[in-house]
This record gives sequence, C-alpha cells and structure tokens, in this order.
Amino acid sequence: MSENEARLHERKHFWRDELLLILSMVIFVVVVYALDNALQPVFTPTTLLLAGVLLAIIPAGIWLVFFNLQDRAEPEPKGYVLAIFGLGALLAAAIGIPVVESLFRVSHWIHTSTVATILGGILVVGFTQEFLKYAAVRYSIYHTDEFDEPTDGVIYATAAGLGYATVLNIQFVVANGGVDLGAGVIRMAVVALAQATFSGITGYFLGRAKFESEPIWWMPLGITLAAVFNGLFNWLQGIVIRPTVTLSGASNNAWLGLVLATLIALLTTGLLLWLVRRNIKHLQTQA
Amino acid sequence: MHTKQVSLGDRYAEIAVIVVTMIALVIGWFYKSSIENASLPFSADGITAQAPKGWLQTQPNGDELFRAIDINSTGFGTTYSISKLTIAEDVPALEVASIVALNHAQDLLAFRVLNQQEVQVYGRTAYELEYVFVESNPDLTHSEFPKVVRGIDYIFVENGQAFVVSYQADENNYDDDLNRFLLFLRSINF
Repeated sequence: MSENEARLHERKHFWRDELLLILSMVIFVVVVYALDNALQPVFTPTTLLLAGVLLAIIPAGIWLVFFNLQDRAEPEPKGYVLAIFGLGALLAAAIGIPVVESLFRVSHWIHTSTVATILGGILVVGFTQEFLKYAAVRYSIYHTDEFDEPTDGVIYATAAGLGYATVLNIQFVVANGGVDLGAGVIRMAVVALAQATFSGITGYFLGRAKFESEPIWWMPLGITLAAVFNGLFNWLQGIVIRPTVTLSGASNNAWLGLVLATLIALLTTGLLLWLVRRNIKHLQTQA
Repeated sequence: MHTKQVSLGDRYAEIAVIVVTMIALVIGWFYKSSIENASLPFSADGITAQAPKGWLQTQPNGDELFRAIDINSTGFGTTYSISKLTIAEDVPALEVASIVALNHAQDLLAFRVLNQQEVQVYGRTAYELEYVFVESNPDLTHSEFPKVVRGIDYIFVENGQAFVVSYQADENNYDDDLNRFLLFLRSINF
C-alpha cells in the first residue's frame, strides 16, 4: 500500500471496536456489580487490594483484546500500541500524579468552589493529563512510518489514555487500601472511558497535524479542547454523583456517573468518527 | 521503524503546545495560590489577623479567641488557633511555655515536646514550642488509625498577657502547610 493509499484508509474495524469497548465497559460494570451483590465476597486486606488492582487493569485489557481481534483484519503493530499504552502509564506515574497531587496539591483546594473545580480541573488536571498523553504519542510513534493514517492518531492516543487511566485507577486502589467492588468498578470504568475519550480528541488533532498542513495553533487548540472537556467532565461528574440525602436515607448516584461517561464517550466517538471520515474524504478528493 | 525528518512547522507546533501547557499551568499555580492564601479579616479582644478563607471557624471558648480548621486537608484537619492568657507582669515566656506544655500534656494523647527555644517572629520576641501528639477520635465506631499530629506554638508575652498562636497539622501535611501558617502569623497584630 503506498503512503497516499495508506492515509486514505478508513479503518472501519477500529471504530466498531471503540463502540464495542464502551458497551463492554458497561457490561463489565454490571457483571461485577451483580456478582458483588449476589456473592457478597469477604476479602482480607491483601485480597481486597489485589482484587482492586485487577479491576483497575481490566478496562485496558478489554480494549487491548478488541484491538488484537481487529488487528487480524487491519494489521497495526501490536508492540507499538502496547508500548504507547505503557508510556502513557509511565508518564502518569512518574509525572502526572506527582504534579497534580504533590506539586499542585489539587485535592486541598479544587473543591472549595464551583469556579475552583472548573478552573483547577481545566488548567491543572486537564492540561497536565492531556499534555502527557499527547507527549506519549508525539515523542514516540508520531514521526515514524507506523503512524501512517489519520485514524492512527486516535488509536495511539486512546492507548496512551488507557495507560494513564490504568495508573490512576491503581493509584486510587492502593491509596485506599482496596475498594468496595461495586462502587470501585463504576469509578474505574468512568475513569477509563473519560481518559480514552479525551485523548481521542488529542489523537484526532495529531492525525490531522501529521497528514495536512495545519496552522501553528492547531495542536495547541487540540490539547486545549481536550483539557477543557476533561475539566468540565470532572465538574459535571461531581455534580451528578453527589449523594442525595433525604429523610429516608442517603442514596449513591455512582451509576449516573457511568451513564454520563458512557454518553459522553459515545457522543465524542461519533463526532470523531464523523470528523475523521470527513477528513479522509477531503484527502481522497485532493488525491 | 523509520523516523522522518521533523519540519520547521512541526517544530513550531510542538513548541506552541509546550508554551500553551506551561501558560495554563502557571495560571493554575497562581490560581491555586490565590485560593490557598485567600483570607478574611478577623478581630477579637484587641487582636486582628487575616484568617484563612473557607476554613471552618469555631466559636471562641475559654482562653481561646480564634480557632480555624481546614476541612479540605487530609488526615487531621490543619488547625490554627489564638489564645490569650492573663499572667503576672514579671512572668517570663519560658514559664508560660511550661504552662502551655503542661496543658497540652493533659489534653493531648501521647504529647511530646520536640523542641523549644526563643525566636524572633517578624520583629517580636517569642517563645517557640514544637511538639507532637496523637489525635484519637473518641467515637468508638470510627474505624481508622489514630493520626500523628505535629504542632508548633508561638508564645508572645506583653504587658501581663500571653498570646499563644498555634499551628497543628497531620504529620504528612505539616511541612507543606507551614508556609501558609507563617502568612497567618505575620498578619497577627495585638
């Protein structure tokens, strides 16, 4: 396949797998939640921690399985995808979490007001996370022959995002000495969906930047948009999952958070699919 | 894997992303500082100070004129307090520090004095008492480990009165929150 033909390739399987990933995440949460309620397993502190870490890895595992399946039809070097996943995870553990938690001490001030939640979520959390996921792709695979079509931006950025999400989830489990399986699995799915979705936005901009002559502000716009969506989502998520307290007791709204994350993931994936298709058609016309 | 030559436009775009991210983080840092350092004027019994905004302030109790707790801090809630003690004219600060330490030993679990010395605090002579204790929630249903808390008291003795300005924080937050307390200490006038 020549370079021009390669970049005009649409990779239909990838988009189908993105939708399957979102659906699988919801099924995964429902199954774990139902099993937890039905079996009510008793854990020791160690097994609780191990169960939590296992749950944290599963969302990325699901995506990688789908990716592996589709890869038979449309070969993409699995090793590189795994490497970018690992790079996203490494950057989260080495830079992202220390910057957000230790340097900016976000948890100390981000919940003091709505404005602080939104601005802190965008300027500190959003930009740190989105820049690192962008860096995982831009400074590794981007300038190589393996990044040979616009959709690759979304694929590799999604891998970086899931790596980042996996570390965020493991850190959450370890910091809390394990998690309640029911509530924990919802949180993990939400984090995985959100991180994959927002890095997909950066990935789209990376794909366009690689194959079209875009202005200098193009990539900064991509990172900014992803960071803004990231910050706004976290704020909205905080409102949606806030427990409701009434005279008859308190209710947990974690499920609403999953519904919100799923809707946003579906909408964003749909939008990216439309944009990439439009972009490919444009390239085809030029060719 | 072949790596292609990076064009000048690509390089500029790369720099632009770094610049935009740095600008966002710098603005974020200033915003964080503005929230952490936000204050409200406080005045009671001849003492004025800039109290941290958004902290939980409790009603004055006994010798205590002011107590504010950071409800967002992890572990033991970082606490600032100001107390006013009436003493005899000629009582030295060292003696007041001993009384304060004895009171702490009665009230606080596993209280230990780490260090005590005379210091200059923004041009005033004060006695510094550094200590540690264990915060234990008396609620038996509270199933968590007691927290180790570090504290520091600055004791100012003037005209038969002693002002004790205290800072107590979880051992994990103590060093990080100390600078914010020094701003509070600087704002106190009596």
